[in-house]
Amino acid sequence: MDPVVPGQPAAPGWMLIDLGSAMVAVVERDALGTSARVAVWPPYQLARVLAVVDAELTLLDRQASRFREDSEISAIHRSAAGVHRVSEGLAEAIAVALSAARWTGGLVDPTVGGALESLGYDRDFAVVPQSGDAPLVLTAVPGWQSVQLDGRRLSLPVGSRLDLGATAKGLGADRTASAAAAAMAGGGILVSLGGDIAVAGEAPDGGWPVLVADEQEPASTRHARPRPGGPGVDRAPAQVVRLSAGALATSSVVSRRWRRGGRTLHHIVDPRTGLPATGPWRTVSVAATTCAEANAASAAAIVAGDQAEAWLAAQGLPARLVAHGGRVRLVAGWPEADGGLVEPPAACRMTAGPKGLGMTQAGPRGPADGRGLGGPGEARPA
Amino acid sequence: MDHEDEERPGWVRLPGYDDDAYPHGTARARGIRRTRRASNWTVAALIAGVAAATGYFAHHPPAAAPATSSVTGVPGGTAAGPHKPTLNTPVTTSGGSGVTVSTGPGGVKTVTYRDN
Repeated sequence: MDPVVPGQPAAPGWMLIDLGSAMVAVVERDALGTSARVAVWPPYQLARVLAVVDAELTLLDRQASRFREDSEISAIHRSAAGVHRVSEGLAEAIAVALSAARWTGGLVDPTVGGALESLGYDRDFAVVPQSGDAPLVLTAVPGWQSVQLDGRRLSLPVGSRLDLGATAKGLGADRTASAAAAAMAGGGILVSLGGDIAVAGEAPDGGWPVLVADEQEPASTRHARPRPGGPGVDRAPAQVVRLSAGALATSSVVSRRWRRGGRTLHHIVDPRTGLPATGPWRTVSVAATTCAEANAASAAAIVAGDQAEAWLAAQGLPARLVAHGGRVRLVAGWPEADGGLVEPPAACRMTAGPKGLGMTQAGPRGPADGRGLGGPGEARPA
Repeated sequence: MDHEDEERPGWVRLPGYDDDAYPHGTARARGIRRTRRASNWTVAALIAGVAAATGYFAHHPPAAAPATSSVTGVPGGTAAGPHKPTLNTPVTTSGGSGVTVSTGPGGVKTVTYRDN
């Protein structure tokens, strides 16, 4: 059996990352338009874990990627029908997205796909023209209530475009970590999809150390640094936290930016306006029971703006919010100290039932329709 | 045994069998009893040992056999159990979805920032 050589393939497509510890194996590859990173202990279980991870990521990509012509969701978008029978996997992904929309009062909404495409984010981000002369085109967001899911039967207005970006990577991390842990004989695993992280099994002593930063950086970098060649930005210092259970996700408007019609745009669209969110927060990190929940909460907080802190506190979700000026706010027990343990709540806050938090009763409509976060258990009328 | 001291056809008493220093049958009987006592203690010890081992493994499952893997040569690849690793270096970064980090040949990482 071959020894591990850092920097060499650990499995097809995966590169081993050397963290200076032989007690854990860390690997990385490109996936889902970003990078997937997996950490496993004990390391000899890596091969069986990666087989599971590869299978889960491939499944999710074929189900939910709007950038793959052969994905299930692309086939739905091309279809002239309004009713579709979808796979169990896609049904789950859409159900989670709808739960997130209900929970956040529609501030994350899977029907923003058309708006994102109009803004120019119509292909894998790696090939989105960053400096386009094309005019800025706005498209109203139909609203998540226009989507009906009954088991595997999906009803979607013809022409509506789904984007599951606010929950799909989180769901993918949850699925992957859970499936991999089930295949392991003890030990633990961390799965990060573009910085949306789920852990399963037993964590290392003291938890998995994770760097929380404005931007994705190599994990060995302890503190944020100026962007190469970029303009000066007042950066909040990065922070190392430890995660023993649950999940952690970060949403940021600092990355995935491009230009249209003389404006700089980013990928977190406010469903109320069809435009990129303009709140005070540039980066929000949230710890939650599941990564789908953390993912939805962090994106919703960016959109919610001034209401975000109170809502996250009411949900009991530990969070770290970085304002555009670099000011950092910590909520609901997020550790102040570097290396502190971040402890997600034991139970999910995002419920699939009809009484989700902040739920609105409004139907599909244009901007400024009253969508927004409510308090715990509060239903907001239109 | 009930017939230890009986004469049997073809058997010959060992010299000194009837000596006063060694009462009739004593040496042989003592040896057998000593052996019996030793056997009893051995059996008791074995039973105690098996019980102790059973109890130990009930609480400390033995290591699972390593799967065939390209990384089985990693030192410190202990089985799950009481020896959790302690990590001080962050294993990953949570920094907002979207920045593509590519790892090329030789482990060279290319971090692509998209914020112009």
